[in-house]
Amino acid sequence: MPATVEPPASHGRAEEARIIPAELIEPRPLGTRALGPPEAWPGPVAFLDGIQRYVVLAYAGTMPVVGADVAAAVRERNGREARTVISERRRLLIGRPEALALAAAALPGIRTVALAAEEPSHPLRDLELARAVVDRARGEVELSVGNAYRRGASHWLVVDGSLAESPVWTADPRMIGVAKSHATLPFGGPDLVTYLHLPAGHRSSVFRPASRHRAPVYAWGLRLWDWAGRDLFFGLVRVEAAPTEESLRLADSISRWLLAERAPVSADARWDRLLYGIHGVEEYLRAQR
Amino acid sequence: MSEKPVSPPVGRVVATELKPSTPHQFYFWTSRESPIGIGAIVRVDAEGRTVFGVVTDGFAYSDLQTPMHAVIGADGDPAGLEEPTRRTEIRLYAVAVLRHIPEEPVQPVPLGVVHLAADADVVTALRMDAYVAGEKPTAIPVGVYAAGGLEAPVYLDADFLLGPEAAHLNITGVSGLATKTSAVEFLLTSLFQTFPAHKGRIAALCFNVKGPDLCFLDQPAELNEEDRRLYARLGLAPVPFDKVRYFAPYKADGVNLNTLRTHEALAGNTEPLLWGLREVLDYAEVVLNRDDVDAKADAFIDFLAERVVGKEFEDHTLPRTFRVRSFAELDEFFRAIFAVLEEGGRGGGEVWRTHHIATIRKIRNRLGNISTRSKGLVTDDGEVNDLPWGGFEDRGLYVVDVAGLDPLAQDLVFARIVSRLREHLERRDLGVDHVVVFVDELNKYAPADGPETYVRKMLLDISERGRYLGLVLFSAQQFRSQVQRRVIGNSGTMILGRMDGDELALPGYSTMSPATRARLAALPKGELLVRHPHFTQPVFIRFPRPAVLSGREGIERFPPRVELSFGEAVARRLRALDPSLATSRVLDLIGGRREEEVRKALNATIRARPDQPLPFFVRCLGREVPAETVRTRDVVRPIRTSGDLY
Repeated sequence: MPATVEPPASHGRAEEARIIPAELIEPRPLGTRALGPPEAWPGPVAFLDGIQRYVVLAYAGTMPVVGADVAAAVRERNGREARTVISERRRLLIGRPEALALAAAALPGIRTVALAAEEPSHPLRDLELARAVVDRARGEVELSVGNAYRRGASHWLVVDGSLAESPVWTADPRMIGVAKSHATLPFGGPDLVTYLHLPAGHRSSVFRPASRHRAPVYAWGLRLWDWAGRDLFFGLVRVEAAPTEESLRLADSISRWLLAERAPVSADARWDRLLYGIHGVEEYLRAQR
Repeated sequence: MSEKPVSPPVGRVVATELKPSTPHQFYFWTSRESPIGIGAIVRVDAEGRTVFGVVTDGFAYSDLQTPMHAVIGADGDPAGLEEPTRRTEIRLYAVAVLRHIPEEPVQPVPLGVVHLAADADVVTALRMDAYVAGEKPTAIPVGVYAAGGLEAPVYLDADFLLGPEAAHLNITGVSGLATKTSAVEFLLTSLFQTFPAHKGRIAALCFNVKGPDLCFLDQPAELNEEDRRLYARLGLAPVPFDKVRYFAPYKADGVNLNTLRTHEALAGNTEPLLWGLREVLDYAEVVLNRDDVDAKADAFIDFLAERVVGKEFEDHTLPRTFRVRSFAELDEFFRAIFAVLEEGGRGGGEVWRTHHIATIRKIRNRLGNISTRSKGLVTDDGEVNDLPWGGFEDRGLYVVDVAGLDPLAQDLVFARIVSRLREHLERRDLGVDHVVVFVDELNKYAPADGPETYVRKMLLDISERGRYLGLVLFSAQQFRSQVQRRVIGNSGTMILGRMDGDELALPGYSTMSPATRARLAALPKGELLVRHPHFTQPVFIRFPRPAVLSGREGIERFPPRVELSFGEAVARRLRALDPSLATSRVLDLIGGRREEEVRKALNATIRARPDQPLPFFVRCLGREVPAETVRTRDVVRPIRTSGDLY
């Protein structure tokens, strides 16, 4: 039975709010550092982002057949001009094997991903499983374009989100992750107050987020815009870099470079945290869809 | 289908619900560095269809949602750190369609790749392919279209510029910046050099209405390399006109010419324009106040023209036979009538041959005034020196300088010359098949408002019927809105130079896009917007400087001489016929002679142009110069519409 259902939040990854205490790398206690005036990025820099979208295309009985579109690209800025240097797009058909068997004939040529579910089909649970598949597929595409870019260029590469998706990325001394999401917070108690009350133009001490599933990185909070009178998270990003002494040495410089990236302001509701370079990648990918 | 494009793509057509493509308009985007500009001609290639269009408007915008974000991004400091990434920005252009290939069915412009038009594309886009080639091409170069480093000649169709299909050209623009005069001079050069032989012979007659504008059309200008290149691109030779004759009336002294072209080196082809009673009487309605010329006055003028002037007139009431050939003889004739009426007196002396004495007095006064107000143009003694009616040369340029004339005399010159042109063209005995008449300051001679004048009617008549005769009006003015609409409307070809902003804001220009109007308001010298019947949309072109001296340059190189004494002026006029003549010799000859006698002899010599001017002049001085036999006008009267006595 054909259908056109776009599930809520089908454009982004699912995240769970939680606190996972991190390990401080710079000396205790957790502190804040004024960064001084922004500095222009030295030389060319590239931005990497991915997008995802999925919709229910049909139901085989009660089993949803999900169509997904994931894409990622790298846009490199030379001077003040940015241009797309790499992009990749994948289309997926996701569902239980018996549902795919029926749908694949109607949609030939699209890669299928079967849901490995042992429990009986539940339409909502199947959608949750499909979403996880889409998240992984997007991560794979992002890794693919990131690695491809790195094979051909050694410029700084700013990734939207966490570097911890890949040990290759976390080992790269010229990659930076800029996470807008704060669903997982690195501190609790008074340190959390210090962390979330970061003044504009300041960074937090460097810490190492704790996670069993993720590659180790160094991270720090950076307040891009003054949050007074606004939300706690307004203008706050988490910066990630390779877990090396070099990253510690460059943390202030990287922060100043990112402060310079506040302008131009992105044409997006998340403009306080969305760097224009990342926004440009998103716009490119959406326009290509 | 058209040939494949030769230039790389510069854009792509976009169509949205808010900005859809139609059969006559479309939009395309291009890069920020693209050479596209307002007026550029582009071609769109899509499956099975090629579309040509001209860019009429341009838009640029970025992804900035609100200006506030720009302020926030700069921390409120315009001089702050430059944004490290240039904002995404679009260049979107609106295009008016010039031509579809195939023409049918008429469909919206497809989504396709946009190229800048090359030479062949411009020919096709402007539909010039119908007349630039073939067995009998009729293309007249008017300038080059230039955009994005490409340059292509633009041609007008002689059939639509000089008739019979359409005709006339009107040019509008502000003084000094629009290069109206230069444009006409260049176009006349182009016409004379490229007018096809199969279309017949052509001449031009220009009225110089202000200063020295058209006084040096036979003198070469110094052109720069770019101008020479443009001439070569258009297939023209940068040379001045070689068959130019200037006509200017005398000043009141009857020997110094009333023109700024009085330098001795230019005297060879500068002649006096001199008319007598017959020439004026035929156009009496031009120079007489309309209120004066009631039915009775008109009847008396007709009586004079048909029965008296140029004929032997006898009346038993008059003491002798009269032969009226000049204003002086006419006055004698009037005096004789008044004497008769005064003698007849006592009730019976108020009417002579059915004409009331008041009417006769009125006409005598008005005609007398003409010779006074037009002194220098109109002579009392009947001498005439006129344009070479019947002997116009092919590619000949005749300039009549009326800049220094009284407005009434200007009207008389316009009316008589244009009417004579019309008569001769109707009879096909002018010597050429087409005559271009150039009139500047059209808002003065054919104003949109104000009383109906003879000159305005005459200009309207040319514009409405001239093309059938080969009589073509090239006209110019500062403000098109101030010119009689029908005169403008009948101009098949319209040219706009640099325009006044207030004029452009008028409804008459509302069909142009804001960008086109903005470009017109700042158009550099040498660039024009041309509308021609073959062009679906007007196009911007560039033309080279005329190969002739401008008025300002001419005055510097050939400064007009100060007004000469009577004797020296006579000597100058004679030296124009024979440069070897010594001034002192002429002064000796005319010493002690009456000025009227000398003037008469001089004009007779100028008119006759003898091989030996001095002996001829001496012979004329020694006896009464015979008057030229005045031929009665036998055909066309100057424009007189039925129902209108004037």
